[in-house]
Amino acid sequence: MTGNMRLKEEGEEEEGASPIIYGDVLELILSYVPLVDLAHACLVSDTWKHAVSSSLFHLNKLRPWLVVHSQTTRSPYLTTTHAYDPRSRLWLHVDKPPLRHVSPLRSSHSSLLYMLSPSKFSFSRDPLHLTWHHAQPPLVWRMDPIVAAIGPRIIIAGGSCDFEDDPLAVEIYDVESRSWDSCQSMPANLKDSAAATWLSIAVNGRRMFVTEKTTGETYSFDPATKIWNGPYELRPDPAVFFSAIGFAGDRMILVGLIGDAENVKNVKLWKVDEETMECEKVGEMPQLLLEKLKNGNSNLASIGVTMQGDFIYIHNTSESGALLCCEFKIHDEIEWSIIENVIIISDQTRMGRLVFTCSDVGIHDVHKALSSDNRRFSVQSVE
Amino acid sequence: MASRKLKLKCMDGVTMEVEEMVALEWLTIKQSREDNDDDSDVVIPISITSEILLKVIEYSKKHLDTTSNSDHQNADSNLKAWDAEFVNVDVNTLYHLIMAANYLNIPCLLDLTCRRVADMITGKKVEEVRKTFNIISDYTPEEEEEMRQQYPWGFE
Repeated sequence: MTGNMRLKEEGEEEEGASPIIYGDVLELILSYVPLVDLAHACLVSDTWKHAVSSSLFHLNKLRPWLVVHSQTTRSPYLTTTHAYDPRSRLWLHVDKPPLRHVSPLRSSHSSLLYMLSPSKFSFSRDPLHLTWHHAQPPLVWRMDPIVAAIGPRIIIAGGSCDFEDDPLAVEIYDVESRSWDSCQSMPANLKDSAAATWLSIAVNGRRMFVTEKTTGETYSFDPATKIWNGPYELRPDPAVFFSAIGFAGDRMILVGLIGDAENVKNVKLWKVDEETMECEKVGEMPQLLLEKLKNGNSNLASIGVTMQGDFIYIHNTSESGALLCCEFKIHDEIEWSIIENVIIISDQTRMGRLVFTCSDVGIHDVHKALSSDNRRFSVQSVE
Repeated sequence: MASRKLKLKCMDGVTMEVEEMVALEWLTIKQSREDNDDDSDVVIPISITSEILLKVIEYSKKHLDTTSNSDHQNADSNLKAWDAEFVNVDVNTLYHLIMAANYLNIPCLLDLTCRRVADMITGKKVEEVRKTFNIISDYTPEEEEEMRQQYPWGFE
């Protein structure tokens, strides 16, 4: 917030009365107000409503939230939800009514959250997970499948554990007709790694890309044609021993750990061309942040990655240590930062598992959450 | 050691002398001096009242003193406490401080004052905000009622 903005003169004020703050001063002040409070600010008056809009557009724009769902590992699977808003650099506790029929929460990409049990398949895609869709489970029982939401379809692949089932089975759920359909199985090469533990996925509006985390062997799947394509080798650097993929906006990004688990030397980012599958390096994690990611432990076997818009959030899957974020700025330059005050989350991990989602939350979403779902957002101050 | 003083003519007609070291913290003044070849006899006109300028001088002096005499252990937290007290003033004064900080281009003061006012908005319901900032709603009674129905959490 620097720069010598020309603030317009505010006009005469009455003797003894507070000045009516509007125009540029108001917009500047609003850029410091957290999104959850802007939800109230825009109801103050029509002038303030426009000032909020303008401030969000010109001064301090919306940025995707990282939502951390912490869930106990046994029934009734109590869930606590926290969200990090990078626009204001603060953590919120999301107080919400508990979900009915809860089972373990999972996410494979961006804002998708789902639960799979023998009797039900439930999923939610909206930014604050206000709406849940409940469906019959897929035909094949799966413990650890990859799940992707593409347009009106949800794809479930792999993760089967029953000896009789095809480990590569793929089923597609059509949200509109509420029906399941089977289709071409996953490529045979993935037979021994056909589960979310081994596979990382990147999803855009048309296709899903699946990459084997340790080898970089990659396939794509188009739910419209139900055809798998590949293999492609996504290994831009032979020293990469672990990789994860995702879509940050239109960009397909590959995040790679370089070295080996006992001695990770770097973490690099590549942009992948969807058509040619060629990689172009776009960034590298600063060494200082890599140390924070390792959190004093020399071993870093894998990382969790979640992306939305211009943001990529990275966490250490084995410890509740550092949470890092990188943002694509102008000309796709990457700005790295560490997310402070993660102790809120650390406390939660002692209770259970953490699931990360990332969503574009706007004022409308906050309004909906406050109105229809009886949510309350409270800013967490750790000091 | 005598330090050079700059002459600043305030909006209310008062001409104030400010230590050069302090005034050069203000990027607008710094730029103006560079443009005028550091001519120390020039009286610089500024769109700020003398009352507000005094407060800005107080702020800059404190921050300058703290930077040069930092006993690292306590300096930071003491300064933070001092800053908090400095902006513990009415909205009217804060408003003028924001305008002054912007005009003189003092990023840290602008940040401090804006945050303070932002804090007066966070956590408040709609009516409270209106009261704090002396805002009269520009909605019609019907629109107001509709809003209360649609967003009860903002008004309860």
